[in-house]
Amino acid sequence: MSPRFIKVFRDLTTDKVKSIMLTLAIAIGVFGLGTILGAYAVLTREMARNYMGTQPASATIKVEDGCIDQNLLEGVRKMPGILQAERHATVLSRMKIGNDWYPMLLFVIDDFRDIKTNRITKVSGAWPPPAGTMLVERTALTVMKSGEGKEVVVKTPHGEQKAVPISGIVHDPGLAPAWQEQTGYGYITLSTLQWLGEQQGFDELRVRMADAGNSVGAIEEKSKAVADWIEGRGHFVHEVQVPPPGRHPHQGQMNAILSLFTAFSFMTLILSAILVTSSISTLMTKQIREIGIMKTIGADSFQISGLYLLMVFAFSVLAVVTAVPLSQFLAKIFVYKMAKILNLTVFDASIPFWVFVMQVLSGILIPLSAAAVPVLRGGRITVREALDNYGVTKNSFGKGRLETILARLNVFGETFTLSLRNVFRQRSRLVMTLGLLAAGGAMFMTALNVSKAWDVNLQKIYKQRLYDLEVRLSRPVYTDEIMAKIRQIPGIKEVEAWGYSPTSFIKDAHYEISHTYPDKGHGSFSIVALPPHTKLVKLPVLEGRWLKTDNANEVVINRMALSQSPNLKVGDVVSLSLDGHPFECKIVGVAEDIFSPSTAYVSADTYTKLSDTKGLSNMLSISMNSRDRETVLPMVRKINELIEKEKAPVSATIPMFLIRNAVSEHMGVLVGTLLVMAFLMAAVGMIGLMSTMSTNVLERTRELGVMRAIGATPKRVILLVVTEGLIIGVFSLVFAFAGSLALSAPLGKLIGNMAFRTPLPLAISLLAFFVWVVIIVIGSVAATLYPAWRAGRMTTHEALSYY
Amino acid sequence: METSRRPGTGTKTGDATGGKAEAFINLTKVTKSFTASQETFSALKEISLGIGKGQLLALTGKSGSGKTTLLNIIAGIDRPTQGLVTVAGVSLDSLKEGPLAVWRGRNIGVVFQFFQLLPTLTVLENIMLPMDFCNTFPKKERKPIAFSLLEKVGIPEQAGKLPSALSGGQQQRAAIARALANDPPVIVADEPTGNLDSRTAEAIFELFTRLADTGKTVVVVTHEKEFSRYFKNTVTISDGTIADKTGESLL
Repeated sequence: MSPRFIKVFRDLTTDKVKSIMLTLAIAIGVFGLGTILGAYAVLTREMARNYMGTQPASATIKVEDGCIDQNLLEGVRKMPGILQAERHATVLSRMKIGNDWYPMLLFVIDDFRDIKTNRITKVSGAWPPPAGTMLVERTALTVMKSGEGKEVVVKTPHGEQKAVPISGIVHDPGLAPAWQEQTGYGYITLSTLQWLGEQQGFDELRVRMADAGNSVGAIEEKSKAVADWIEGRGHFVHEVQVPPPGRHPHQGQMNAILSLFTAFSFMTLILSAILVTSSISTLMTKQIREIGIMKTIGADSFQISGLYLLMVFAFSVLAVVTAVPLSQFLAKIFVYKMAKILNLTVFDASIPFWVFVMQVLSGILIPLSAAAVPVLRGGRITVREALDNYGVTKNSFGKGRLETILARLNVFGETFTLSLRNVFRQRSRLVMTLGLLAAGGAMFMTALNVSKAWDVNLQKIYKQRLYDLEVRLSRPVYTDEIMAKIRQIPGIKEVEAWGYSPTSFIKDAHYEISHTYPDKGHGSFSIVALPPHTKLVKLPVLEGRWLKTDNANEVVINRMALSQSPNLKVGDVVSLSLDGHPFECKIVGVAEDIFSPSTAYVSADTYTKLSDTKGLSNMLSISMNSRDRETVLPMVRKINELIEKEKAPVSATIPMFLIRNAVSEHMGVLVGTLLVMAFLMAAVGMIGLMSTMSTNVLERTRELGVMRAIGATPKRVILLVVTEGLIIGVFSLVFAFAGSLALSAPLGKLIGNMAFRTPLPLAISLLAFFVWVVIIVIGSVAATLYPAWRAGRMTTHEALSYY
Repeated sequence: METSRRPGTGTKTGDATGGKAEAFINLTKVTKSFTASQETFSALKEISLGIGKGQLLALTGKSGSGKTTLLNIIAGIDRPTQGLVTVAGVSLDSLKEGPLAVWRGRNIGVVFQFFQLLPTLTVLENIMLPMDFCNTFPKKERKPIAFSLLEKVGIPEQAGKLPSALSGGQQQRAAIARALANDPPVIVADEPTGNLDSRTAEAIFELFTRLADTGKTVVVVTHEKEFSRYFKNTVTISDGTIADKTGESLL
């Protein structure tokens, strides 16, 4: 091997700690990027495969009950562009877990042996479910606190409560996980539904279209044609549901989160690159005399630069070789974890080759580019400049204004003062170290700030929605009597009768087209009618004004509804559907309505007039004196018992804390991964500090020798170095905090908007700050101990003879 | 197919033999000024000096007199503020930094006071490094040449050791061997014995004498008068000017 390459190799192995740190820093960046990109690639692919594997319906057409017979099905199937047509029903019911009632969706499937759309896969047990039993989605088992072979008490809106055995477990990749939605998912036959007391038949026609592709417009057009055809046969069409084609209900959320993490992992790589720049600058400074010698014996600038770039290349290759397999391993763990969270089956966990190429390219090119500036600068230095260089010992500390101030300062004793002055000796290095630590800290605090902002929003839910229980009825009934009885229950504060109905913006058809998924939650849009002077909802109005008490056709929409038609503005007149009939109304306001699906609020007067339900109601909102879960639960039980006794057609009772739980579950994954990314960045920061401190110690070896010669004990030297590291760490806190303030608001806005169309407010987590302070103090001491120990261990003679 | 260049080549601008033109190293009115703290200080003031081929010349003078600066200018390590420097017929002004480095590698062997061997390379590898940078000699020949140079300086048994394992004298011998690696016609040495005991220093000066005898031009900066017997030519520098010169030095 050529001597110059031997030099590169030996230099790499001589300062092992430094080499390891530099390699580690690059490896962390490559690792983070590879893990996230790998997971992104696999999850996107598998989510699409899972979802498309279910043969999702392009559209669901809600029709009048019982009209879908074989003739109608055959007729639709024969229509041009229609691949499949199938009848279906979804019944919002309740299930009893312990003493409490929770919402449950019952999916009624026509023929389990030949499911044509939205297919489910058998996991275990019976197939099809015997009459009087049900299959349960695998993620619902935890919510239902049950298992195969056990029974769950179910009550449909019109039936008696019945114990239904779970005859099998299925996987439905088209649904959001049950535990996330806090809802039970059951799959039954029509005969079981009738056995449960419901007289309804199939009221949904699910169609798959051949060449509609991914165009919502094309699907809507074809759906309208089908709906027109059905109406032409004298049947009433309530609604056409066209969920975003080819997109899992959580696809948007997943993409948003993974894009964010990809951005963060790139940032980690950039931080590593900064560290490379810093370390290589230091290395060039340290090797400047060697550069001078090599130039003296005939090396030109290109040869010198090539030599050090080769060194960086070697670091990078080593980092890539270390990080790639590790990241692939972790990406797969992450994929399986996320798949569990998203209720996906991973058919193929192999990470595409392009991820590997990206890792290799970024892991090598970014550090090389980062090192290029100091290396080329160092390579260009003249022989005399190189030979005359004495490093930090000859720098001009003391001439600037800052140094003059520092020289006057004498605080916390000599050691602290000296350490403080030393901090400012190599300012470009200090800036880089502070940058690294501050970036890590800013990310850490941002992650927790965002999490806190989410909590603040959760609290806002309680402040905006002042009810604790929502009772949904399957049809409008006279509720005055039942409300009076509920009011008599001790602990009840307020009971209001509301109106509730699915709706959608009607554009050019006389029936509504919504973007609701089959789970009836994602993409849904509802009208909620509020009584005049309601005490149970207080939504902040962002634009326009709140509803007036008269019965003018006025509507206040929430942000989520606005996102369905972003061009709408206050003052616009829109056409909404109510019970399948369109009505025109004027948007008078846009309200903040955290974690609520698309909702249009109208006055009770308007609603009863339009729906012809004067004196009737299909929703009760109830507030209680105490809002904590422990108090609310027994109250909910009492209300349920009362409703049971009164034989009200309840379809669901939804306590507020369930909504809150669902929100928390949505957020948990996000914050957890953000924190992991923050810790990676923090690790790079700490490596940066360690690298800086070992360089500082190395450069000041002679100086430390002088100190030892004039009486400083090894302990004192160690203290001096550790204090210097600690000061840098503490300084970084200020920048980290400022950075977190700058990052938290836009990130909260981004996450909030992408996930739930609700920007998160700026929230400062003091806990995050204090935890980071602890991490920084411990980390700074830990990162500095090794160089300090090395400095303290060196004999006075060794230190003085170092140059 | 390996390409390698023979050492000791460069762009010749004139005849390097005979009379004043015989000077192998020629300095004409060389001035070197440094600016520090907005003050200009002249380290060399209009120095003119000619050194013949195969001469062993001592540059002496007090600390700070300018002798190292003069040596650096001869070696192409530093450039004069004014004046002309030609070495082996090559005008150093005409060479940019890159070509100058290559020229220096092939034509000047530099020996430092603190040896300046690269600590992570063995003695043999240190000697092969200039050949590597300047691409002199075919690759296969480099190792035997380096080894023969170590034999020449009397430390062949140290070939595989790292510099830190050698004594000061051995390190300086290795440094001289490295200076000879590309078979340069000129050797410059800055206080080569300043860090050595007198017995070792004697051996080093004897080595320089033998090199001069083989036709190398050797310029040594030294302030150790006890070794003056080795030098037939001595130039004494004082305050940046030639205060005295003895021997065959050409003006």
